[in-house]
Parts: sequence; structure tokens; C-alpha cells
Amino acid sequence: MAEQVTPIRGNPGFAGETGEFAQLTEADVRGSGYVGTRDTAGGHPGSACSHPYQVVPRNPDAMLFEGPYRERLDKIVSRYPTPQGALLPALGLAQEIRGHLSADSMAQVADALGLSPTYVRGVATFYTMYNKQPVGDYLVQVCTNVSCNLCGGDDVMAAFLEAVDAEAGEITPDGLFTVIEAECLGACGFPTAVQVNERYFENVAPGDVPAILERLRAEHAVAGETVTPQANPYAGGGDTPPAAGRPAAADEPATGGQG
Amino acid sequence: MAYPYRHESEVRVMSEHFGDPEARTLDGWRRRGGYEALRTALGMAPGDVVNIVKDSGLRGRGGAGFPTGVKWSFMPRDDSRQPHYLLINADESEPGAFKDRELCRWTPHQVIEGALIGAHAIRAKHVYIYMRGEFFEPAQIVARAIEEAYATGMAGTDIMGSGVDIDVTLHLGAGAYICGEETALMNSLEGRRGQPRIKPPFPAVMGAFGRPTTINNVETVASVPHIIRNGAEWYRSFGTERSPGTKLFNMSGHLVRRGNFELPLGFNLKELIYDVCGGIRDGRQLKAVIPGGSSVPILAADEIDIAMDYESVAQAGSMLGTASVIVMDDRTNMVKQVRRMVEFYAHESCGQCTPCREGTAWLARILRRIEGGFGRMEDLDHLLDLGANMTGTTICVLSDSAAAPVASSIAKFKDEYLALIRRDDAAAVAV
Amino acid sequence: MANEQQDTVTITLNGVEATVPKNLRIIEAAEQLGVGIAHYCYHPGLSAPAMCRMCLVEVEGAPKLAPACVTPVADGQVIHTESDRARTAREGTLEFYLLNHPLDCPICDKSGECKLQDYTHAEGRKHGRSIEPKRVLGQDDFGGDILYDGDRCIMCTRCVRFMREVAQDDRLCVVQRGHRSVIDTFFDHGVDGNLWAGNIVDICPVGALLSKDFLHKARVWDLDNNSSICPNCSQGCNIRIDTRDNLVMRLRPRANADVNSYWMCDYGRHRYEWINVTDRATAPQRRLPDGGLAAVTWQEAMLALVERVRSAREAGAGVTVIGSPFHGNEDNGMLARLASVLGGGDLLFKADQADDEIPCPGFPRLARRRDLAANVRGLEILGFTRGGGAAGTGGIVVALGDDLADDVAHAAAGAELFIAVTARSTAAARTADFVLPATTFAEAEGTFTNFEGRVQRFWPAVQPPPLARPAWQILGVLLSGLEEGGAAPATAADAFLRLGEWHDEFSGLSYDIIGSRGAVINETVQLPAGAGGSV
Repeated sequence: MAEQVTPIRGNPGFAGETGEFAQLTEADVRGSGYVGTRDTAGGHPGSACSHPYQVVPRNPDAMLFEGPYRERLDKIVSRYPTPQGALLPALGLAQEIRGHLSADSMAQVADALGLSPTYVRGVATFYTMYNKQPVGDYLVQVCTNVSCNLCGGDDVMAAFLEAVDAEAGEITPDGLFTVIEAECLGACGFPTAVQVNERYFENVAPGDVPAILERLRAEHAVAGETVTPQANPYAGGGDTPPAAGRPAAADEPATGGQG
Repeated sequence: MAYPYRHESEVRVMSEHFGDPEARTLDGWRRRGGYEALRTALGMAPGDVVNIVKDSGLRGRGGAGFPTGVKWSFMPRDDSRQPHYLLINADESEPGAFKDRELCRWTPHQVIEGALIGAHAIRAKHVYIYMRGEFFEPAQIVARAIEEAYATGMAGTDIMGSGVDIDVTLHLGAGAYICGEETALMNSLEGRRGQPRIKPPFPAVMGAFGRPTTINNVETVASVPHIIRNGAEWYRSFGTERSPGTKLFNMSGHLVRRGNFELPLGFNLKELIYDVCGGIRDGRQLKAVIPGGSSVPILAADEIDIAMDYESVAQAGSMLGTASVIVMDDRTNMVKQVRRMVEFYAHESCGQCTPCREGTAWLARILRRIEGGFGRMEDLDHLLDLGANMTGTTICVLSDSAAAPVASSIAKFKDEYLALIRRDDAAAVAV
Repeated sequence: MANEQQDTVTITLNGVEATVPKNLRIIEAAEQLGVGIAHYCYHPGLSAPAMCRMCLVEVEGAPKLAPACVTPVADGQVIHTESDRARTAREGTLEFYLLNHPLDCPICDKSGECKLQDYTHAEGRKHGRSIEPKRVLGQDDFGGDILYDGDRCIMCTRCVRFMREVAQDDRLCVVQRGHRSVIDTFFDHGVDGNLWAGNIVDICPVGALLSKDFLHKARVWDLDNNSSICPNCSQGCNIRIDTRDNLVMRLRPRANADVNSYWMCDYGRHRYEWINVTDRATAPQRRLPDGGLAAVTWQEAMLALVERVRSAREAGAGVTVIGSPFHGNEDNGMLARLASVLGGGDLLFKADQADDEIPCPGFPRLARRRDLAANVRGLEILGFTRGGGAAGTGGIVVALGDDLADDVAHAAAGAELFIAVTARSTAAARTADFVLPATTFAEAEGTFTNFEGRVQRFWPAVQPPPLARPAWQILGVLLSGLEEGGAAPATAADAFLRLGEWHDEFSGLSYDIIGSRGAVINETVQLPAGAGGSV
């Protein structure tokens, strides 16, 4: 009765073991072709809270909410009956700019929304996705919750820690990685699920770990020189219209596109 | 090029276009019949839309299974307390559940269309799609879909020339399981700590921003366009009398084929595991199944010959929940897996109610001690007693959810606990 | 059964049927009926989050136990607070509280007035079952007078809600979530500078929030608690004076919905050391012909005093009386009467004034008033005027209290007869012809009249020195000596009734009428312009 299906390992993250997506490109699965370039200033206010994919470098000293970021914050705030409603997206925006939420970031968010800094701290610390401390350029979150755990999540976690040679939560000396354990990422059918910054890698086995890290290092080398949309399909410049051509990553064929 | 594996038992309604990148786009969605149901619904009085959904018997897919049409009918019919809000719960974070992510990333317009129909039905002027922050990629897709909808007059003012105005806003959470609880979700949307609220007042009376609010799961609203298009009778042709329609079954764990399978409610769990999913991988034997996500009681291998509908699973002593089936083979260390689940609840407890805040952490510590070989016989009774004290004593049911797998695993897999407590080497198990 | 139109509902609480006002919550209704329901997070002056889960009660027909702090009473409701289900839930919840709570009661300031101790003692398990190590967080300095002991914290969030809702100065929040939750400030920005923060120590049900001032200073079971009125501004907050070994250890607010709700300000709270008078005037003294002061008996002092006053009066000496806003209406009233009996004269007082009134945002009736003494309004009603312009004119000078410690020397410099009725042996008092040892407000019964004309009673909290007497009594005896045949009042209550005879504002009032909540004097009475503060 138990039919054996050979896992497709060539492309960790996109090959469901029931064969879903086997014929699809990474761009098809991630939807980056459809999404195209996203504007730093946000497109429509209704979707302004979703942030462009964050590559490196982040600047912990950057001014918050200036230029296109101010525009995006204003769009976000316009969608809620109270400025407080925009608090989560605003914190996300601050983290997008600076990489983590310092006391100063929280105070600036509070000021921008007319809230008390203490209140903002209380909210920010409730949510795990806000980094209260600096993290590596790539925050690697390995799901070890039950569905992934049954399929070896702990081993994948161990493999990541071994490969980056660091303790969980530590920033590697080159500043590139912080590996932490994550709770359920909602990709239980594709164990083990690993989230790297905003990107998911699925069906990750311990053996896939070196290749994933290698890929991230290669991306970092490109992005580290100039922060350009080429480094990643979602990152947009403030002056690029959303639909005007989708700069593709080197390993992503340009398919799909906005419909 | 769609989800190439298709089991013959599947009835693909919502998942028909999974794996088809073209179906994501507005044009692609329209070519597949999309937004016709919205046009139909906007031409109807809100109450008539509610009635069709009521007649269809559609039940909330977020876990509780409350009839959607009935929920909609709780909203005030006079407009004196406008604006009303419709919140789409895309905070999918129940361990085992991964359906809403698929719906959002493959068929964003299906979700938006369903949400707009729902909003019209409850006279809501604004839809917030509350998506968990980790779902960055699905969020980008939904964001683009919202932009397309606005650009083509499918959202905003005078939708499709109907005179109906509905705004749609994507809102991202920031990492908190509890925000999937509807009142915590409202608090989180309002920029607060995601702590569940005391009910009453119920959301339909005083919800988000103090206004009448309905919260629907992604899968619930994704079902709605098909009901409007094909009628309540058609929907009732699937599933059982009390649990009509199709449902995405989220299959994970030690299965040959994992993934989402859309089947009529009432489908046999054993058949689901052994036929649809190809059985247990590596030729192992089945040990246990969690039928509805980690919050529900565990079923032993001999308890799975049941129909997967709300009533039958409840009768078997568990819950259908989100139909997130976690399958465990005979190598599974039950104590470890239960401990991992309880640690999850301890991590995710919002910390308001004392029995939950302290109890979840306490259970986890005891379980970790047992797992490490330092258990005591009296720990088992203690675990059960703590679980009982955590059940029904808190604002929301996270506390109950943490206690459920502990109680059911002690009831059904006591030998494994005893082996660890006795430090019985023969019982050393893998995984 | 009550009907829809009525303002009451009939409930059955622990088998006893009772009619209570509707719109009450179960916990409030039970309180009215004399049934206490255990609680931590609920506080009548704050919103109710229903999160401590201590007040769960069984309501017949409800599937789950109901939190009494948010569940409204309803007609026909049958409530059980002592059923097995309710008791089991409380016992279970208490056990959760003790999981991480350090049992360091021997060094905890709250010990003895700790709700965790009380409830556990009453209903907790006989034996603890946890063998897991406890969480250790240590202490955090919240700034100002406040220390936070995170290990003891039970996360009721009363302090957070107080700062948010009452002080309306959002300085505290819950940081993190779940069992990692702690109370914290915005990093190193503490609560210092907020005038109301001291209240969070009072409302903390356990020893998590500590007053640095009170830290390890006394065991609360060694304290005597006495009802009083804060003397430090003209708001007249109702307080308790906690004393040990006849010394004031701390002041705490006493609830009065008309005056201060459940709160008091830190300005008043921390100014109590002056009540512990050290340089006491311990015995009556009179000046000898050789210029020295000699201790005499009260009888000797008063006989001589009556004689001296009478002869000075006959010699045509004018009179100046100096009242004290730290003394009650009775004391000052007798003083005013003395001036009147002696033919009228200047009635003066002095009181420090702050630049600003500082209202409590969440309860605006409460403010730290500009007048930094309790009985300014009382003095004004009794005819005293602020300032010392007319001082130093000679004649008879009678000074009450030590408020004019410096000015008294000046005012009395040319006096023919200087009488000091005072608790303290100040330098000024020692220049007097008669030094008559008086009790402080904390040592006797009396009344203050607050900024809005509310007359409020205070009670003795500490023992006076053996020979000190209430000023109303000293002055009453003097008056009775001067007005032959008039009996001196025997009690403070009598003295107060005399005020009613002399001043319309006080007529119709008595200690019984004033009670423990105070009474506002007849508002139709014309008051001196600018006498009050804004409400």
C-alpha cells in the first residue's frame, strides 16, 4: 500500500513530496513573477503594510520614516480608524529600515503615532518577529514544532548550527547569520520548514543546509556591494513603477508577470 | 501544471488551481470564472447573500465550525453603527495547519472575492486581511492582488458598478499564535498586545475599533464564491447533512504523500491516511493521529476508522478543528512530541490568565523532566490534575488546548510515560 | 422577581436571596451583601481585565465558571462562591501562583497584608507539589520611590492599569508574554517625576512593588492603622496613618469616592516625618521674672495665664491670634473665639503655597492643591486671613502651632504677652511668656475643612506626651476662665458643636453627621473670595 515517492532534492523549498510544484520554477512557487517590483513607498494604501524583501545592508542608524518611508507610513496610517491601528505595520517598517527595534526606534514609532513609548514597548515585546536585539543579516528560523519535528526538525536545526558554527541566537562573526528555533511556520506539509528573513525554504533536510547557506552567501555578496533590486525580486526603488519590468534574480527565469 | 498529484477521491473546489501560477493573476482568475460570484452577490440584497450561505450549511473553517451564515446574521441590520468590519483570519499558526497559506499564495483573488462577498453580506465597508507576519511571500501575492482589484474596480468605491463601496486592507501580524483567536486578532489589529478579550461583548456587537465585526477564516470565505456561483444545494451535495461541503485536509507527519487534499467532509480518516496519502512512510506502522491540529486530543491507531466531520470526530473524543491531520508512526516518542507541543503553548500563551501563563510552563517542565529520565510516578496524576485546573478556567481556550494532548497521551500512551519514568532502556525510542 | 423597569434585580448568592441594584457586577453585589470574593486583578478604581481568574464563581446554567469581576448580576441569577467547582478552581489557580512565587515572606514588606498569603492560608493546598526550580529575575529599580521584584509579581497588571487609567502617564507596561512576562518601564525611563506613582505599591496585592522608603522598615503586623486626613495640602485625602512604637512609618490612602477615590499623591504620602515631633514641648512653662522659663503644673499655668490675660486686657492691650492650618477647626475655632472674647483683633495664619495645582488625570476631583496645609479653608471660614502684615503690633499674641516659628519671634517681639500653644519647643516658642504643650493633629480627634468646604474627621494615631493637651482644650479652659461660669468643652465633639454656635457655616453639623466620609458645609454661605481651589 505504501508507495514510495522519491523526494526531489534539487531545489529545496519547492518540491512537495507529493510532486506538487515539480514542474514549476522557484519564481512560480514564490510568486515573485506575479508580485514584481514593490515600491518602497508602497503601492496602494491597502497593501502598503507588506514590505519589500529585505536584503542587506540594513542601517541601524538610518532615519526612520523619511522620504518614501514616510510616504508609506502615511499610507498605512490612512487605512485605520485610529493611528494606533498602524502600530504593528509601523514597527515592521522600522525594523525593515534598521534591522531591529532599538529603544530609539520604539520611541520614534511612538512619536509618529502619538502613543507612549512604554505602550509601544509593551506591544513590541509581545510579538516574536520584532527583533529586540540585532540579528545577523540572515535570520534563519528552523521550525521544530510537531509536524516538522516528526520529520527531523531537530536535526535540521542542529545542522544549521553546526554549519554556521554558532549557538542558537548568536550572530556569526561575519555578521551573516543568526539561527534560531521557530514555532510552527504553517508549512507543515513540507517539513522541515525554514524561514530565512522573509523567505521560506521547505522540505529542508540536514543535507540541504550547506547548499542553502551557500546560496545566501552568494546573494549577500551581490547585495552587499550595491543594494539594487537585482539582488532580489521584491525589493523596489521608490522611483520604479510597480509594473515596469521585473528585474529577475540570476537563478530565476522570468515567467508569469503581472496579469 | 497544477498540483500534479490528484487523488481520485478529491473534490477540488477551492484548490482546483493550486500550483497554477496563472490563476494568481486577476486576468487568469477571471478566465477561470472568478469575480462572477461577486457580481452576482453585489446584485443581491445583503440578507439574501446571508440566506444562501446559511442554506449551504457552510461552517467556519478556522476550527470551531460555527455556521457562517448564522454568524453573519448576528451583525446589526440597521446601519446606525457603521462602519462594520470584516476581518479575514489569515493568521494560520495552529501546528499542523497549512491550508490558508496555500489559498493565499495560489488563489489570492479567490480569497479577496470571498471576502468582498462576505463584506457585502454583513454591510461592512472595510475588510482587513490579518495575515501572520511570517507569511511574507503569500502577503506579497495578496498585496499585489489587492492592487489589481483596486485598479480594475473590484475593490474600493462602486465595485463593478454596483454602488457598493468596500475597502480591502492587508494587515500583517508579527509573530503570535494567539492572534489567531478572534478577539486577540482584533486587539492585534488595533495595535495592542494580542490578548484575547472577554466575551461578551461579542464581536458582532462590539468588535474591532469598537464596531460590529465579523471574523472569518480564509478557507471559509474562499468557499463562499463557489456557493454563490453554484448554489446552496450544490454545496450540500458534498459532505454530510450537518457538515456539508468540501474541506482542505492538511496532511503532515509520517505520510508517504503530505500536502493539502480537498475532500468532502465526512471522508474516512483511515482511507485518508492509507489511500489518499499513500499510508505510512518507510513501511512503518501507525501509532497515533492528531486529527485537527495540535490543540485537539490525540487518537490512537485503532481509533481512526471515523468520518472526518465535526460531529463524528467529536464523538470519537477529539475535534475536527482545522482538519490538520498529524500522523505519527511507531517510532514516535510520544512524550517528546507532547512536550514539544506543550512548549509551543507555553511559548505562545499571551500571559493574561494565570492558569495558562503558569500552567503551560509547568506542564512543559514536568514533561521535559520525564523525557530526560527524571520523572516520578506521581507526576502523571499531577499532570492530569494541572491539566484539569487549566481547562475551562481561562478567557480563551489556549490553556485547554495545551492540556488536551497531555491528557489524551497519558490516557492512550501511558506505557511510554511509565517506561521513561522507570528508565526502562528497552523502551528507548527514536525521533 | 424584579421587572424590567426596576432598578434592582433579585439574585441568589450562596443560597440567600437578595435584591441588589442592577448594573452591578457580581463581585460588587457580593461585597454589598457581605460576601467577599477572592481577587487580584480586580480593583474598584480600575478597569477589570478578568485575568487573575481568582474570582471565578459558579453561576447556575452557565457552562463555565464566570469571572465575578466582569459578569453583571441578572434577575434570577443563582450564584455559588463556595461550591466544590468554585473552590477547586480557586485552589488550583492558587497553586499556579505559587509555582514561581518565591516564598521569601520573612523578608517581604507585604507579608501580613499580602493577598497571596491570605488566600493561600485560607484555601490553598496543604502541601506544594512543585519540585521544579523557581524562576529568578531579581529586583529592578523603577525610579522614584519604587522597586520592582519580578519574582514576586503575579502579573495582575493593576500597576500598569493605574498608571494608564488614573495617573494617565503610561510609564509601565507588560513586557514579553506568557510566563516570560514582566512589568517594566520604557528601558531606563522610570516612574520618577510622576506624583501618583506611590499608589502602585498600595494596590500591588503582593510584594512585587515596594516602597524604598518603607523597605524593610517594619513588619506590617506590628503597625497600628488609624484613620486620618492627609495634612499636607488642602485636598484632604482620606488616609491611614500606620505607626509602630508611636512613630509614623507610612501614610496610605483610605477610600473616599467624594475626595480621593482610592489614591493619594506622593507629595502628601512622603511628608510624614514632621509628625514624629522630636523637639517636643513636654510640659507647661511660664516665664519667670528673672527671664528664665520654668516648668509648672497645668493648673498653675492656667491660673496664671487667666490672670495675665485679664490684666493685659484691662490695660487695654490689643490682641493678635495666629492660627495654624495644620490644626483642626476645633483648635482654630477656640482661638478665634478667644480673639472675639478679648474684644476682637487680628486673626492671621500662614500657609505655604505651591505654584501649581496638580490634578490626578483619571480622577480630577483629586489634586495636589496649591495650599500645602490641610485646614486653610477652615481658617478662612473662621475669619483668619493669610499673611503677617499686621504682626508685631504688640499687645497680646496667641500663636497656635509652629507654622510661624520664625515670624512668631517677629510678631511677638513687641508683645506684652506672648502665649505659644505648640507641640514643638521651637526657638520662637521659647521666647514666649507661656509655652503650653499641645497635641498634633495625629494625636487627637478633630476636623479639617478641605479646599471645597468639606469637613472631615481625623482620629488619634499616636500617643501624645503625657502633659500635652489638645489646643481646643487649653484654649477652652482659658476661655472659661475669662468668661466666668462658661464651661470648657469636654470633648472634641463638644468643641466642634461650639463652632456651630459661633459660625453659621458649621451649624447643623456634628461628628455623627460628618461620619467617616465628611460633610460639605452649607454652600450658600458666603466664603472669602479666592478661598477655594478649583474643583
